[in-house]
Amino acid sequence: MDIAIIGIGLYPFGRHEGVSAIEMGVGAANTALKDAGLQWTDMHLACAGSLEVLQPDTMNKHLGLTGIPFTTLYNGCATGGNLMLTTANALAAGVGDVGIAIGLDKHPRGAFSVGDTLESIGLGQWYGETGLALNPQFFAMKTQRYMHDHGITEETLHRTAQKAFQNGSVTETAWRRKALDYDEIANAPMVCDPLRKYHFCNPSEGAAAVVMCRADVAKRYTSNPIYLRADVFKTQTYGSFETLSPATPVRDAPSPVVRASAAAYEMAGIGPEDVDVAQVQDTEVGHEIMHMAENGFCKDGEQNAWIAEGATKIGGRLPINTDGGLLANGEPIGASGIRQVYEVCLQLRGDAGTHQVPNNPKVGYTQVYGFPGVSCVTVLST
Amino acid sequence: MQNFPPPHPYLGDARSFVPFGVGYIELAEGVRVESRLTENDAGRLKIGMQMELVIETFGRDADGNDVVTFAFKPTGK
Repeated sequence: MDIAIIGIGLYPFGRHEGVSAIEMGVGAANTALKDAGLQWTDMHLACAGSLEVLQPDTMNKHLGLTGIPFTTLYNGCATGGNLMLTTANALAAGVGDVGIAIGLDKHPRGAFSVGDTLESIGLGQWYGETGLALNPQFFAMKTQRYMHDHGITEETLHRTAQKAFQNGSVTETAWRRKALDYDEIANAPMVCDPLRKYHFCNPSEGAAAVVMCRADVAKRYTSNPIYLRADVFKTQTYGSFETLSPATPVRDAPSPVVRASAAAYEMAGIGPEDVDVAQVQDTEVGHEIMHMAENGFCKDGEQNAWIAEGATKIGGRLPINTDGGLLANGEPIGASGIRQVYEVCLQLRGDAGTHQVPNNPKVGYTQVYGFPGVSCVTVLST
Repeated sequence: MQNFPPPHPYLGDARSFVPFGVGYIELAEGVRVESRLTENDAGRLKIGMQMELVIETFGRDADGNDVVTFAFKPTGK
């Protein structure tokens, strides 16, 4: 891919009473434009995505009615990565030189609801009526099975959460700024066995944006562009185990994460051993642990040793979720993937301050995953 | 284990909610079916254990009729 990121913006995730998702999206976009030293009038195209906002392209009323193509899309938790991919593809296709991708959301408190009717997500109403249409059940069952098959310990779950809140405590923009003791995490109320209260992220509010351009013109705008080496979007194949599945085949197929990751490494011409800093989807600790293997960083079952030696901490051999990830930032679904990219860009620029990974990281990696079996992976480098 | 009352559109009564187990049951016919489990003590459920199909009453509708669904229970074998 010959695409560069020249501006980044975040409307910090958390709770912002009285501020609409549109306002947060506009805030993140303006921050990204300022970071790039550009104006909205310089944008040749835009993409935006959100679960809660019906038409995020109405941000143009605040940003400027400049007549540009303004695409909207929503792909669940993979929205952020796909917003960037769609922007990159449009730039590569010659629609323009410079574009912006904006993710925004504002969710009510509590676990995500499946809405009034399950028919809108291709399921029968009975599935919700009988108490089965809940994401935490899936997270718990998939984690339970993975622990059973690969010997992952409860201690590894707790230490993964502890690392997330530790990173959140040193990240100015994080929502959860309080580090938690191991015992506080281990003794927290059980939500869905084996996952406890602090093992989960919460829905939240916020926005994130990136200004992108063709790589050959990047130096016009900034002296330190971050290059998008790969951005891959994959959906499930028959047999992968996904949330909200009333039935699955006995045959197992790899998660879309595995396929997006492999394709991204191939596109970037690197391997997992070349990654210096990574952000992976940690809707709960089980998925951060499984994603360590699905993204190729370690083998199934090696996570116990990795976590015990602190390998994924800031300063470890592969720092993961350096801003506290979803656990410490919550998940505004439309914005979450771009928050990962924002954090990796800070790290690669050396601008992450109190949560900066040492030794000048050069290659970064992001990965989102969610319903209905979707994943986006990006590879970024200086 | 579903330890809290499911949100809308759950038909069970949130006030009298009793936690229930959830699992995927592999059938001999070659499919895995997601189901409520009658056992709600996680310590008594094991991956690979034998299960059998039962009908479970988990709520009551506005007219006082029982709301039933399929569920699986350990065979004890």
